[in-house]
Amino acid sequence: MNLYDIIFYIFAAITVVSGVITVTSKNIIYAAFSLLFTFFGVAGMYVLLGADFISIVQIIVYVGGILILLLFGVMLTNKVTSTDIKSGSVNVLPAVIGVALFAGALISIIIRTKWTETPGEIPLSTAGTLGSVLLNEYVIIFELLAVLLLIALIGAASIARRTKEETN
Amino acid sequence: MIPNLSEIFSLTAPEIVIAVTLILVVLVDLIWDKNKVPAMFTAALGLIVAGVVILNGMPETGMIPNNYMVVSDKLGLYFKFIIVLTTLFILLFTYDSKEIIESHLRQGEYYALVYGMVLGMFFLTSAVDLILIYIALELLSLSSYVLAGFSDKETRNSEAAVKYLIYGAISSAFMLFGISLIYGLTGTTNLYGVNEVLSTTVVNIYTLGFAVILIIAGIGYKISAVPFHFWTPDVYEGSPITITAYLSVASKAAGFALLIRFVSITFIDHVKADGEWILNGAFDWQTILIVLALLTMTVGNLSALWQKNIKRLLAYSSVAHAGYILLGVAVLTNLGLVSVMIYFAVYMMMNLGAFYVVMLVANKTGSEHISQFDGIGYTMPYAGVALTIFLVSLTGLPPTAGFIGKLYLFLALLDSNMLMVAFIALLNTVISLYYYVRILKHMYLKNVAEMPEKIETRGYSTVVLSLLVVPVLFFGIYWTPLIDFAKYCVEFVIK
Amino acid sequence: MLTEFGKIFVFILLAVFFVLIAFFLAKLIRPSRPTREKLETYECGENPEGSPWVRFNLRFYVVALIFIIFDVEVVLLFPWALSYQDYGIYGFLVGIIFLLVLGLGMAYEWRKGDLEWARPKQIPPKLKKIKEELTEAVME
Repeated sequence: MNLYDIIFYIFAAITVVSGVITVTSKNIIYAAFSLLFTFFGVAGMYVLLGADFISIVQIIVYVGGILILLLFGVMLTNKVTSTDIKSGSVNVLPAVIGVALFAGALISIIIRTKWTETPGEIPLSTAGTLGSVLLNEYVIIFELLAVLLLIALIGAASIARRTKEETN
Repeated sequence: MIPNLSEIFSLTAPEIVIAVTLILVVLVDLIWDKNKVPAMFTAALGLIVAGVVILNGMPETGMIPNNYMVVSDKLGLYFKFIIVLTTLFILLFTYDSKEIIESHLRQGEYYALVYGMVLGMFFLTSAVDLILIYIALELLSLSSYVLAGFSDKETRNSEAAVKYLIYGAISSAFMLFGISLIYGLTGTTNLYGVNEVLSTTVVNIYTLGFAVILIIAGIGYKISAVPFHFWTPDVYEGSPITITAYLSVASKAAGFALLIRFVSITFIDHVKADGEWILNGAFDWQTILIVLALLTMTVGNLSALWQKNIKRLLAYSSVAHAGYILLGVAVLTNLGLVSVMIYFAVYMMMNLGAFYVVMLVANKTGSEHISQFDGIGYTMPYAGVALTIFLVSLTGLPPTAGFIGKLYLFLALLDSNMLMVAFIALLNTVISLYYYVRILKHMYLKNVAEMPEKIETRGYSTVVLSLLVVPVLFFGIYWTPLIDFAKYCVEFVIK
Repeated sequence: MLTEFGKIFVFILLAVFFVLIAFFLAKLIRPSRPTREKLETYECGENPEGSPWVRFNLRFYVVALIFIIFDVEVVLLFPWALSYQDYGIYGFLVGIIFLLVLGLGMAYEWRKGDLEWARPKQIPPKLKKIKEELTEAVME
């Protein structure tokens, strides 16, 4: 157990515990805030994996954007004073069996498989390399992402305008 | 260091046409804010250009890409052509759709989002890299979520969109996880690269199987194969009919193209001279595809028996048809591939036609309940006859094109000695006859005592309907050109 | 072992722990005598009125959605900006096309009025009337 491992387990614990709280909490605000810690934990793991750019993206986009949007969504709902989630749990037993099977399969696979390893140094910064990959072999994806974002923008605006027409 | 641009342009020519038109549609919609006709014409024109580019590119395909993400072959172009035709028909339908016309102000978005779907589907048919496949799938899904909830008149629209979104998010998460497992196993996301690794080194079969099953979950969601079909009836019922028809044909075509490419590139060892695919044995595709196919057609057909809403009924019928088509893939021969391609061309015409008649009736009566079809055969004679032809074709009886689709499917099954499977498929066809005939019963045998009052249909609707009825009958009688075209298009690039 | 970023994260972690420890220590040391006034929401000494849970305007949501999409765009532009010089005019054009497509999205939002804030209609006070009233008052 060196420092590296200890930090990893701390981040893992933060991620898992707050993830569990997110799922089980009956108060939607608490759920949203514990999701924040999940995102932070995942960002920490990205750092440990040497993916600095992805980790910053995780914080900028997920924590700074998506979570805020989620909280906005909560604040926009009609009955905001009762923030409790009303739905109960149904079909608990089949769900438990299904999830347990899936998790068991997943864990056994992760332990038993010999994953492909590529030797190499952890790069100081990955953003520049990522950029040249995006411009070279992934250039189609780069431009496709622009279209994807445009479609997302149009779709989001379309839905928002639709609800606006309804409420008026 | 600069990638070979001319090669990229020639590989993705249809996609570029679609992307440019997408941008033009948005621009045109911005310029003529109130008038939606220019946007519609731009959209239709772009599709026609794309169709010409596809047909033009057909003879000179078969390039093996150097580490680019797409491949250009006749198989992909064939599916693209089907998608283009479907989209053109959907645009024709849209002009006649009450639901879409009512949300007039947002019609520009409608065309832009349809184009988003087309672009996603185009890339799905030709992508050979898992990352591009995933992004194309997301582009397709994202646009279709919004379109499923496009109309604002009814709450079931929103229900459809939300259900579609939730199922879609989960299945694409599964697929992404499967992709990441494959990357972890092989160290590459390129399908050719994965094939090379699988054939040269020994990987953990269980992990690979798990990953592939997760990816099948993602694809199965798109083609609504059982057990990933639960969204289908609700979304098909709630969406505007044009979008329902579109999802049931084009989205499925893209899903099947993706499935075929995934199997034929990643897992193939070589193709024998008689057209049989020899897989590299890393994953037992035949068994899993047959199980999926039989489950899909049986569940689809049996659930369709109880449906009272025509859209739901056609949804389950489309699930069943996905099962038949999956059998064509499961044969894993070139003949099976030909049967899939023929079936898709036929399925496109008859399914679009059936949905169009449902739309015409719903435009007049405001509902798709089966009781609305009582006496339609007398009040809307031409639509009634057309629906009869489409339903007979969906069952697979001569002299309609549906018969040819089924015939070639069964030929492919018998060619590979899958008698038992063919028998179950035949039984399913018999079951499907029951619920298709039930609609006919409602159309012709109910409410005949009253003096039928003719419901006027526009000349436009009649013309569009004829565009679908004529080929269904024509290819039912003289099918050689269709078969020849499909056989010409059986070409896919393997390394 | 740890990258430069990893070291920064250790610092962040330490900072978090520092705050947590400080809170915990304060809890141990401080006296705890809660009263009703202390537990009320602090609004600059005023008595709070009504519930803080008001329903927000939908406009906020639209703006937040637009923000996220451009957020992702910026994130994708970072790697491009770091490496496009190596590719000359080609690299520049790739980025410009990317930006133009998203600029089209911006133009779309603008033209369709999604960026406009729906304000209640303001009725400007009619100066003439006020003037008349004033003169009347002065006359009286």
